[in-house]
Amino acid sequence: MLNNKNIVIGIAGSGGDGVISAGEILVNAASSEGLFVFMLKSFGAQIRGGESSVRVRMSDLPVQSQGDRIDIMVVLSWSNFNRFKNELLLEEKVIIISDADDPMSDKDVPLSEEQRQYWYKIPFNKLSEEQTGGRQSKNIVMLGAISELFSLPKQALRKSIEKIFRNKPPEVTESNIKAMEAGTAYVQEHVEKTDPLAFEYESREARLVMQGNEAIAMGAIYAGLDFYAGYPITPSTEIMEWISRYLPQRDGISMQMEDELASINAILGASFAGKKAMTATSGPGISLMNEGIGLASMAELPVVIVNVQRGGPSTGLPTKTEQADLMQAIWGSHGDSPRVVIAPCDVEDCFDSTVLAFYISEKYQMPVIILSDQFIGHRKESINPKAIRGGKTGFRKIYHRDIPTDAELQDYHRFRNTENGVSPMSYPGIKGGEYLGSGIEHDEKGNPRSDAGNHARMTEKRWRKMDYIKKEFRFERFYGPRESKLGIIAWGSTKGAVKEAVNKANAMGIPVSALIPQLIYPFLIEPFKEFIQNKNRVIIPELSYAGQFRRYLRGFVRFAQYGVRVIPLRKTGVAPFAVEEILEKIIEEWKDMEARR
Amino acid sequence: MSETTEKTMSARDYKSDLKPIWCPGCGNFGFLNALYLTFQELQLQPENTAVVSGIGCSSRLPGYVKTYAFNGVHGRVLPFASGVKMSRPETTVIAVGGDGDGFSIGAGHIGHAARKNINITYVVLDNNIYGLTKGQASPTTPLGVKTKTTYYGNMGMQFNPVRMLIAYKASFVARTFSGDPKHIRKVLVEAIRHNGFSFVEVLSPCVTFRGKDQFKIIRDKVRYLDEQHHADNELEAFDVANDEKELALGVIYKKPRPTYDEIINADVTTKAKAVSHGKPKVNKLMDQFKP
Ligand SMILES: Cc1ncc(C[n+]2csc(CCOP(=O)(O)OP(=O)(O)O)c2C)c(N)n1
Ligand code: SF4
Repeated sequence: MLNNKNIVIGIAGSGGDGVISAGEILVNAASSEGLFVFMLKSFGAQIRGGESSVRVRMSDLPVQSQGDRIDIMVVLSWSNFNRFKNELLLEEKVIIISDADDPMSDKDVPLSEEQRQYWYKIPFNKLSEEQTGGRQSKNIVMLGAISELFSLPKQALRKSIEKIFRNKPPEVTESNIKAMEAGTAYVQEHVEKTDPLAFEYESREARLVMQGNEAIAMGAIYAGLDFYAGYPITPSTEIMEWISRYLPQRDGISMQMEDELASINAILGASFAGKKAMTATSGPGISLMNEGIGLASMAELPVVIVNVQRGGPSTGLPTKTEQADLMQAIWGSHGDSPRVVIAPCDVEDCFDSTVLAFYISEKYQMPVIILSDQFIGHRKESINPKAIRGGKTGFRKIYHRDIPTDAELQDYHRFRNTENGVSPMSYPGIKGGEYLGSGIEHDEKGNPRSDAGNHARMTEKRWRKMDYIKKEFRFERFYGPRESKLGIIAWGSTKGAVKEAVNKANAMGIPVSALIPQLIYPFLIEPFKEFIQNKNRVIIPELSYAGQFRRYLRGFVRFAQYGVRVIPLRKTGVAPFAVEEILEKIIEEWKDMEARR
Repeated sequence: MSETTEKTMSARDYKSDLKPIWCPGCGNFGFLNALYLTFQELQLQPENTAVVSGIGCSSRLPGYVKTYAFNGVHGRVLPFASGVKMSRPETTVIAVGGDGDGFSIGAGHIGHAARKNINITYVVLDNNIYGLTKGQASPTTPLGVKTKTTYYGNMGMQFNPVRMLIAYKASFVARTFSGDPKHIRKVLVEAIRHNGFSFVEVLSPCVTFRGKDQFKIIRDKVRYLDEQHHADNELEAFDVANDEKELALGVIYKKPRPTYDEIINADVTTKAKAVSHGKPKVNKLMDQFKP
């Protein structure tokens, strides 16, 4: 359904068509007007060249997801569009913009009768050649054309074009501005607008545009990261790329290691040496790190580990999303090894979660896993310009690790069994603080010991920290009317579609509410108890075939005792949940509940 | 490295309260005693010294020294040591491990620590066997030797660590023998003083799983390098390393070059600061995400 305040534009073409940069110009323009923006990119299998597509959603109102269907589909070449047919679902009354000189004949174009109703053909290539002497500015011609057709913010677009070419000679910018103007003029002179779409918005303070991975990198730097070690792996690599660029400016060190075993052990070494340390990885890399995560639990070394989940198992689907590393994050590595798992649920939350992850790991001296995914990591989203001053959780506290006092150093017990299990931690350079840290079971001094009593005591000490974390932190999100009988519990990137579906259902008069826990582990029961108290049914959507999240929840929450029926909604990854999919389930369950009343 | 004279340290001052769990006669004792004496000779301050290890009999060693110490997981001592050193460059970092820890499970790390020239000393107590797990073949177990997991004789060729380390461009490569603590001390002092990655192979018999006669066998097989040897000559060093009949003891190869932290200080940080004009505030960094 077309909505003038909230539109989804798809662009598809070949590698040289400038699809991605056109998307970026749109995103920047909309964000500079203070609009809410969401952009997803998709590529063919080739490393360079090949086909690509973007989907840009821009809205006057807050948006939570990529938008299910495309309102305006720009096709720079039809042969490349075919590759993305299944990803770019078109509205029935979609508006098509394509190149007037596209070699594919109209009858071969994969559109239904309905979808052909609004179809504008504009000679992108020809206009580009006329203005710039080459075809490379066809994407800019296109932007000029659609800005005229749909009343997109023209001034802002022009500024974004200037910005994207700012490092090129001034002639390049000039000719591109001319290309944009030519696109606009062509529409004014030759196109008769028949579709009803005209974008409506109010200008506001500009918003920032970030990817989830960038937000994690910046959050880490904000939190005082000193040392990063990593090994490239899609879709986490951008984190290291940003950090290797900005951490040295802030006197920190970024090391590319030979593998993930080296990465995790290097950050453990840095942490032992008293520094704030982090690594980021995905898929096969996180599997390799599990032994090191156990060492962090045992030696009580604070470290932050980012897992930007991708499709699995094994090499799986490196550039696609899935939520199937949950159980591994919680229970991975042998032995009873305490760690904290936090799941950011959107780009802005990536920043918050990272600041929080450092706080918890430094305070409680244990590994903290940030469980993001490709869908958050790689998408661009506009975020609150004041995010840096405290986003939704507002969590901006920095913790400075407890170090032993002079009195404690007289007879230093590195692993002293304190009330909350946290023992002041020395590091090289502190005289009298010398100790043996180890992955082997040890006593309070750090000396290896294997008797049952000591193992029980020290295990209990390490786990006691988890109880204190539960007392100190509680963060989850909640949407919809609390008293609703129908509920949804979801985690991580599924939040966006869930929140939008809940809003839509509420607007349709269906009472449904949602709970999104962000502190995944240790498990804090209260939010769930409060949430399910008055529920009859709870839908659990997740991108895990095995239903890991549902199984995890069932281990703690006595749904049956509360008379709550659990409705799994699980699917394998690649495509994140569409709002429609969740909304349909809500309607189905709600109808069934009504029928049984 | 910190050599100060504030309080004179004796070898005993470096001894921890833990008693080594090693078998009587184990080669590791000779090395440990030489290590205390080396620390004394260099007057290392315990708070500015870190001895770190992986897993194995040999990797128990950090527990026996009264400095900062860490006993991590099998094979990962070099990345851990790199993290410590890069975080606290003023700390003298000594990484210790066995031949299994270093050349089998951890083999992937050696080339990189060497190539990056991380300024640490890496000591492998090479006993040609897996000691802690009670006598299985290691990468340096000679061909044909019967072990618990090579019942009919070891099928793999014995591995030559010194040759590998020279090939990996380690800036300091030495070999010594736990039957000669004086020699260990001489080599170790030089290794620790060396500015860059220094590798020391210590022939350190496992009397329990390789037999008590190992000390004698090794003693009969070694020779000491003298001034005739030019350690800065790579080809000469390779010739010495290639001789597996007569094992040369001493500094076999030594060629200093800038260390990883020197490159960071001189190059990376300078370039980064030139771009950012000093230490940028996070607020400033966030500006680049403005549309
Ligand atoms: C990942 C892993 N695999 C296997 C082991 C078991 N293990 C412990 S020590 C060791 C080998 C020890 O041999 P070496 O490194 O030569 O040291 P040594 O005991 O001879 O001094 C093995 C296989 C382990 N601790 N961790
Ligand atoms: S098993 Fe061998 S290496 Fe281990 S302590 Fe005994 S003699 Fe030494």
